[in-house]
Amino acid sequence: MTETDVDQAAAAAGLTREQLLRRAVAGGGAALLAGNLAGVARAAVDAAPKRGGTFRIGVSGGSAKDFIDGQNIVTRPDQARIVTGWETLVVFDSQFKLRFDGLAEEISPNKAADQWTIRVRKGIEFHNGKTLSADDVKFSLQRLVNKKLGLFGGAALSSVDPARIQKLDNRTVRLHLKQRDGTILDALGQYVAGIVPVGYSPNAIGQAKPNIGTGPYKVQSFAPGQQSVHVRNPNYWRSGQPYFDKVVIIDFPDDTARVNALLGGQVDAITDVPPAQVAVVTGHSGTKVLESPSAAWTPICMRVDAAPFTDVRVRQAMRLIANRPQMVAQALSGHGRIGNDLYGPFDEAFARSLPQRHQDIDKAKSLLKAAGKDGLTIDLQSTNGALGMNEGAQVFAQQAKAAGVNVNVKILDSGPFYGPQYLKWTFSTDFWGSRNYLSQVAAGSLPSSPYNETHWPDASHRKFLSLYNQAKVTADRTKRTEIMREMQNMEYDAGGYIIWGFSTLLDGYSSKVNGLKTGDKGVLPLNAFGHGYRTIWFA
Amino acid sequence: MDGAPTGAPSSVRRAVWTVGGTGRSVSAMTAGPTRARRFAKFRIRGIPGFILRRTLLGLLTLFLVSVVVFAATQALPGDAARAILGRTATPDSLAALREQLHLNEPVLQQYAHWLSGLLHGDLGRSLAANEAVTQLLRNRFENSAVLVLLAALISTPLAVFLGAVTARRRDSRFDHGVSVVMLALAALPEFVVGIALVVLLGTTVFTVLPAVSLIPPDSSPWSHLNDLVLPTLTLVIAVSPYTARIMRASMVEVLESDYVEMARLKGMPESKVVWRHAVPNAIAPTIQVTALNLAYLAGGIVVVEVVFGYAGIGSALVDAVHNRDVPVVQALAMLIAAVYIVLNVLADVASILVSPRLRTSLQ
Repeated sequence: MTETDVDQAAAAAGLTREQLLRRAVAGGGAALLAGNLAGVARAAVDAAPKRGGTFRIGVSGGSAKDFIDGQNIVTRPDQARIVTGWETLVVFDSQFKLRFDGLAEEISPNKAADQWTIRVRKGIEFHNGKTLSADDVKFSLQRLVNKKLGLFGGAALSSVDPARIQKLDNRTVRLHLKQRDGTILDALGQYVAGIVPVGYSPNAIGQAKPNIGTGPYKVQSFAPGQQSVHVRNPNYWRSGQPYFDKVVIIDFPDDTARVNALLGGQVDAITDVPPAQVAVVTGHSGTKVLESPSAAWTPICMRVDAAPFTDVRVRQAMRLIANRPQMVAQALSGHGRIGNDLYGPFDEAFARSLPQRHQDIDKAKSLLKAAGKDGLTIDLQSTNGALGMNEGAQVFAQQAKAAGVNVNVKILDSGPFYGPQYLKWTFSTDFWGSRNYLSQVAAGSLPSSPYNETHWPDASHRKFLSLYNQAKVTADRTKRTEIMREMQNMEYDAGGYIIWGFSTLLDGYSSKVNGLKTGDKGVLPLNAFGHGYRTIWFA
Repeated sequence: MDGAPTGAPSSVRRAVWTVGGTGRSVSAMTAGPTRARRFAKFRIRGIPGFILRRTLLGLLTLFLVSVVVFAATQALPGDAARAILGRTATPDSLAALREQLHLNEPVLQQYAHWLSGLLHGDLGRSLAANEAVTQLLRNRFENSAVLVLLAALISTPLAVFLGAVTARRRDSRFDHGVSVVMLALAALPEFVVGIALVVLLGTTVFTVLPAVSLIPPDSSPWSHLNDLVLPTLTLVIAVSPYTARIMRASMVEVLESDYVEMARLKGMPESKVVWRHAVPNAIAPTIQVTALNLAYLAGGIVVVEVVFGYAGIGSALVDAVHNRDVPVVQALAMLIAAVYIVLNVLADVASILVSPRLRTSLQ
């Protein structure tokens, strides 16, 4: 590895150079040692983890369309289940930084960042005893990007050429990318990019194979829309973990029933405590609420290529109408942080220095007048996709009245909302999870993005595209951050999103559950479900 | 407060009367036998004939329901593939799922397949779960059936008893007290009753019973009786008032009739007058109402199932409609229609058997 290589890989991985070097040189041993040391440090604080018990978790949503697939999710319970049995090559840690703490002991790019070499750890076994090898990695990546399967994690890996995944030796593969891609590690770290054994097809009718992965628990039984039971994997590669004998994951589409189950002691944890019920859970003896700030957002989206938002002044006026603290207080019941029309707040390149935008009705009115749009009336389409979408739209509509703008909120059923009109609405809401900046741009802010609601960038901001392409292949971190700041400046001034806030994940748990940490930057609920139910235990 | 036996006040229950169709009052049924006498030559007489005719009519109704159900589910807005995938739908995944689910077949062909499947006990494959519908619903049907059965076994005798006693002591303080409580309970929606019971017995005041009823998918509800207490209690509270009030109204009428007067004048003890002579004659309208209540429960316990996280057919129906899971919606609509028809036929037959006047008019 040359110095540039290291910098490149480190930059892409969000690690310091030293960290990466240490791992690359010492390989899995160092990482394992580091892991054990961290374990010891934690043990001193929390008292030693104890083995045993059945952990029961109530998960919001879920229906007959639930499935268990190591590389795909649709519902919230799918998320809760995927982490029991499947692991990724790299993982995001509790501060949303990538770590080589997954199945790969090393992933390094060539100088041009268009070839990436992945080496997996030695001696990791699938649930059936088969050893994890390069063939499995190759199969997994090919399956992920197979468009016919339509897997959730495939879009982020679009630069991987499935025909050119080369097996170097039993533990090593090399990816040849269609173009340079500095975000490949982000994509490999998504929890939906699980590594599955060769031939994996758990849900194929008539030819289903055993549903196995390398994770801490094996699937024992599964009834879609009801519950699944997972038993401890005795051959799990992280020594000592996991601690529970069994994990039972139960669907609770109804908020009240879910909270009642926790209060009544029938489950040990629940996801998504409704903000209005937080006081009930904290007030009850023996149950607590875990708050994790997330980078998830429910924007109001303006199509930059459709009237009246073609005029940048109208977009700016709309952003000035939003009273963000009030929106967070009302739409998220105060459980969130205000936004500044920029996404990716966990990214180290996030433009924190840009001034916080505040409500300014006078300025909004004069901008609208200058654009000839005073007294504007417009429909805002929304659906109950995530907490904050409908609520945010309604609070915004109230605030818009002050500026003489008449916003008609149309709340649609999810069928029509996500129907053929989806991504074509002029003015709508949507929801996004936590992502780093460039990954988010790829997913939602480019002409080639699968979900570009705002049709950004418009004709006068084409430079955004070339900046993105430049950032993606720039290895130098400082330089790359500079480019990303410029991109964020453009979106801050002229973008189509009103990003009024970021939600906080609110989950409930019984006080006999140990190992959960408040304040983790959350992507998945309950510290990513206790990191696959392996870093939590019963007192 | 002697409300006529008009069923339930809520719009849901009013719909029951019309959907049920065959839930005619006892007096309306007496018109039948007159015609029956006219065509006596061509008809099987007596009670077996009556049962046969009602059964055939029931089957005809079921067939018509199948046509309506199929037509209605085809008219659902949106397409199943898109509804299943929701936000995660991409053109690729949509095309893949549509092909997998055979959504591209012509409508008539789909109906023919479905009807013949139905007759062979094959209800098709769930679009959302990608599993046989029978497989998907078997456990849930058992769960719901157990819940309805328990609720019926407890609420019917309770309601008959309460109705009889309040009628017997008409206009006493006891009667007024019970009436007020019954009306109040009847006015409360099930979810309010359910949540109140959960707060009282499951989570906050006492924690003696499970707050939610988690019946594992692979086991029978009978082995989780603890979990059944609260939902059953909720249902009993929900349906008993109607039956009790109808029983009371019909008892009041019977207690004023000549033969009761006669029995009393004979010097028969009052308890014997009430339980031997009055109750059997007052019970016919109650049977009708109980049947309708049960039928209502079969399709309408969804609220209770949701509040208690109970895996039954009501919550399956909501889920299926939400997912545009057409085969499951169709199967459940047919199932619920069949329950309505069977219960109504049974209620009619039972009413005939307990009413000597109707019984003899069929001869």
